[in-house]
Amino acid sequence: MRYKTNRRSVRELAFTALAGLVLVAGCGKPPTLVGEGDRLQILHRGSSSDPQELDPHIVQGVPEHNILQALLENLVTEDPTDLHPVPGQAESWDISPDGTTYTFHLRAGIRWSNGDPVTAHDFVRSYRRALTPSLGCEYAYMYFVMKGAEDYYKGKTQDFSSVGAEALDERTLRITLNGPVPYFLSLLNHYSWWPVHLPTIARYGDPYQRNNRWTRPGHFVGNGPFVLERWEVGHVIVVKKNPLYWNAASVKLNEVHFHPIESADTEERSFRSGQLHVTEQVPQSKISVYRRDKPQLLRIDPYLGAYFYRINTTRPQFRDKRVRQALAMAIDRKTIVENITRGGQLPAYYFTPPDTVGYTSRSAIRYDPEGARQLLAQAGYPGGKGFPPFDILYNTSESHKSIAEAIQQMWKRELGIDVRLLNQEWKVYLDTEKRKDYDVSRAGWIGDYADPSTFLETFLADSGNNRTGWANAEYDRLLKEASRLGDRETRYELFQKAEAIFLDEMPVIPIYHYTRVYLLRPEVRGWNATILDHHPYPYVWLAPRPEASLATASAAAQRP
Amino acid sequence: MPVTATASPALAADAVEPGRSLWQDAWARLRRNRMAVIGGVVLIVLTALSLLGPLFLAYSYEEQNLALGAAPPSAAHLLGTDKLGRDQLARLFFGGRVSLLVGLAATSVSLTIGVLWGSIAGYAGGKLDAVMMRIVDILYALPFTIFVILLMTVFGRNFILLFVAIGAVEWLTMARIVRGQVLALKRQEFIEAAVALGLRKSRIVLRHVVPNVLGPVMVYTTLTIPAVMLLEAFLSFLGLGVQPPMSSWGLLIKEGAEQMEEAPWLLIYPAAVFAATLFSLNFLGDGLRDALDVRASKD
Repeated sequence: MRYKTNRRSVRELAFTALAGLVLVAGCGKPPTLVGEGDRLQILHRGSSSDPQELDPHIVQGVPEHNILQALLENLVTEDPTDLHPVPGQAESWDISPDGTTYTFHLRAGIRWSNGDPVTAHDFVRSYRRALTPSLGCEYAYMYFVMKGAEDYYKGKTQDFSSVGAEALDERTLRITLNGPVPYFLSLLNHYSWWPVHLPTIARYGDPYQRNNRWTRPGHFVGNGPFVLERWEVGHVIVVKKNPLYWNAASVKLNEVHFHPIESADTEERSFRSGQLHVTEQVPQSKISVYRRDKPQLLRIDPYLGAYFYRINTTRPQFRDKRVRQALAMAIDRKTIVENITRGGQLPAYYFTPPDTVGYTSRSAIRYDPEGARQLLAQAGYPGGKGFPPFDILYNTSESHKSIAEAIQQMWKRELGIDVRLLNQEWKVYLDTEKRKDYDVSRAGWIGDYADPSTFLETFLADSGNNRTGWANAEYDRLLKEASRLGDRETRYELFQKAEAIFLDEMPVIPIYHYTRVYLLRPEVRGWNATILDHHPYPYVWLAPRPEASLATASAAAQRP
Repeated sequence: MPVTATASPALAADAVEPGRSLWQDAWARLRRNRMAVIGGVVLIVLTALSLLGPLFLAYSYEEQNLALGAAPPSAAHLLGTDKLGRDQLARLFFGGRVSLLVGLAATSVSLTIGVLWGSIAGYAGGKLDAVMMRIVDILYALPFTIFVILLMTVFGRNFILLFVAIGAVEWLTMARIVRGQVLALKRQEFIEAAVALGLRKSRIVLRHVVPNVLGPVMVYTTLTIPAVMLLEAFLSFLGLGVQPPMSSWGLLIKEGAEQMEEAPWLLIYPAAVFAATLFSLNFLGDGLRDALDVRASKD
């Protein structure tokens, strides 16, 4: 083909090129991660921060759960719609009539990602590791429902055979509990109970100490639907389909990419430019925009979690519970959820979220600035005079900062107390909190399983997730008693009493109860609203729509 | 007497014509440069507003109105409010104090250390030069963020420390530039003349070398100030600089950029003020360089 070079054809050419450009911009668009992911079944998921670790017996956070869920599988796993326990590595189980002994029968032929068979001994070895004090598992208390676990963890015995976990043969595991625990199978879905491959861990260091490098890519051995492919710190974590997984045939996704993005605004921009299928959060200022213009992309799901401030009760100025109560009563929660978070969150006047499997606390705190001033005066700081200035610690995020600034102002205005803000990166923040090197720290607690005890037991004196220095013998006694009972009514009565003590002592200040607000592209299927925000990956897949509708959707998505 | 009386005034005028110093010369030249004058005036006005503006406002920079949220400019809030309902004008004035102070203080720290270090190293030469410049190289090699975080953990989160930290890092380039200039200068005749006159080394450096390197130094200084202001915003974002609810122009711009679609006024005004400051600094810097160019003045 030849081009004539007269003026007219040049103009035509330019026009054609321009039209072509418009066309390309209109529907072709340069390839995006999402477009490529749709073709190759690669899910791109936003994750608010880089994981602290990928060791189920060490991690504490939600971002870690979302990744580990792809890499490991326990005896039972979760139903994708309502999260009730369904067979995982175990194909069936028997429960003794008194509800205290569980016998699990493992599937035949299940394997670790390195080819080793998964046996009942692997589970026993994992429990032993989690309960070994030198590892310092923050969640060890999750095991305390198991017979002898608490004694072993606290070093009262060195003999693991006294603990109620026993491999009867290669494929049979028996777990004996202290009492009937109605939520035991749900409890197994928490990562602290997940199995690890001890021989692999032993290869990269002492399995009973921290700072083991077995979780690095190339080292990690798991038994979940995916294997760890890459971990570029601060950039991306890639997990790839595990061909040795027992149910690999039904896993539709080939890869999941986790993108750690701390800023909600950056994440939203990535979503809009087609880099993410699902985000971790939505900037508070954009919720109303999405609600108005693109409601089909915005998801607001119920979420079993509480947003609160921990108070370091070991600091002299916070020893007096009246001070803690005053701080709690001076916060206008309604204004915060209506004007800052704006995602349908509920102001929290108690700690356990309302209607947690039928439980709602009868005790509640009030918003009462006048009462707060009086309490503070009684504690020896009339008008906030002489109250030492302190820091609010939060992990780097715009929304935590906004809330902290609002609360800073409320405490200053209502109580006359000067507060500074201090932000730290997620891992540093977790470490600071753990060392109790803070005054007041922002925190969130998402239910680990569906039962009120997941909230209240966090603040047992020996819970690694307490981190406030607060301990109350009566509170601990009530919860221990409840954990031995099978009857729901009686248990909930004990929880009511415990929560009343908790709210009176106020080691933490509840602020709001979460909703899960995030952005989700329409082609993501099998992604159900669940109260724990768990989305088992074997049930998730991508269904890209025909070219035409995709083009309009992505063009529209440019301007939310 | 009368005869001499007529002649002597003329003579006296000739002989006693007031010798104009370098600074007077420079000042006269600067005043003739219109852009530089405008730049200077803008800077003075911005400084005055930042210092005195908050006194005339109904709102303080930290007063929130959560129910109002991010509202566009109105009669009550001339530049609108941010997402916590804080008056943007008050925050802009207050942020100006921080930014201008950081810019000025950190730059003077870097200017003082850099010029002295560079001219001493360049003029002395030999072993002293080598040692001094290797020290600069070593400091260069330290990653800036780690260096500042170290300073902050050792000395605590102190506002003043921010100036020192930034200044202490920014002088390195200055020292190198000055040293290069001095190396070129010290073989010239006027320095040799000064040496021949038996002047002390310190006097030669301060009176003869430093004024001759003012040109490039001025240019680099005007580049340093905006860089320092941006560094401050970066450090504040990391939680090492200015703490909320205080603010600075850099922080306001960063926050505004995140919400530029829903609340463009949060970005436009701080960005405009920041840009105006940078332009003014550049024009003023240009003018100062021309005005202070000793070689040009002796033509």
